Amino acid sequence: VTVTARDITLVELVDRVLNKGVVLNGDLVLGVADVDLVYVGLRLLLASAGTLDRLDGPA
Amino acid sequence: MIDSSADTALYGYAVVGPVSDELREELGDGLELIGTDELAVVVGSVPLSDFGEDVLEKRLNDREWLAETATAHEAVVHRLLACTTVAPLRFGSLHRNAASVESFLEAHDAEFRSTLERLRGRVEFGVKVWLEPRERSEPRPAATSGRGYLEQLRRDRDSAATAQEDLDERLTRIHETLLRAGVAGRVNRPQPRELTGATAEMVLNAVYLVPAGDDALFSEVQRLKEQHPDLEFELTGPWAPYNFVEEPEQ
Repeated sequence: VTVTARDITLVELVDRVLNKGVVLNGDLVLGVADVDLVYVGLRLLLASAGTLDRLDGPA
Repeated sequence: MIDSSADTALYGYAVVGPVSDELREELGDGLELIGTDELAVVVGSVPLSDFGEDVLEKRLNDREWLAETATAHEAVVHRLLACTTVAPLRFGSLHRNAASVESFLEAHDAEFRSTLERLRGRVEFGVKVWLEPRERSEPRPAATSGRGYLEQLRRDRDSAATAQEDLDERLTRIHETLLRAGVAGRVNRPQPRELTGATAEMVLNAVYLVPAGDDALFSEVQRLKEQHPDLEFELTGPWAPYNFVEEPEQ
């Protein structure tokens, strides 16, 4: 059963793509010596209410 | 082999397995598999001008960029879902090169195998329950005295508390019912009105893991709609199992 067409709201996307999924270990960023894994601390960024508010701000 | 230079990184979309010819065809030119036929990561090349740490925060607050990028991520993951078992990676999983992806896979080999085993043949559906703002059915009599006003306030407060308790109880039962129609379920925080932009209030934001092609959850939602005419039910899916990549706590 496919319930919805593939017109997905940004909120649904944020709910899944940005807030869920396998998290790589460590919030490492590019430019750190001897670190191959490049992962920016998105979860922290997105957990802040400020970011969520701005998501819905005037375009 | 996708080029990974100083200006690009490998963006991981999902851990998948097993890898079939069908999956390879689905990937086309823009995406690549790193790993083995049993367990692999689907990656694409992205410019660091978008994902570098210095620009990413700004990008994330650019609604248009975020919508476009998150949509693209979801679209890739959704295509994979038709060909194999998928454990989506969180948005923004970046590696410097293929060797880094390989060592990441090796380090989590057992974990990923058991996750994929648990998710095999299953998809995620979302169920949101909405409540329209209550309108008072009868105009209330104007209070004629200070005491009358205070009593009315108290009655209003008591009836609001009772209504909330009643709603919470119904939502708990609704979740339990839906949980029985699937193999696992989770309740997420309802999205606030500022995000949904809806007049109705989201009172339940739940997700369920169900066998692919099974319509038990769908039927159950139809029944619940009839049982709770004052609530609005929204069913979305099938999604890749974003909410179930981690072992449920129960």
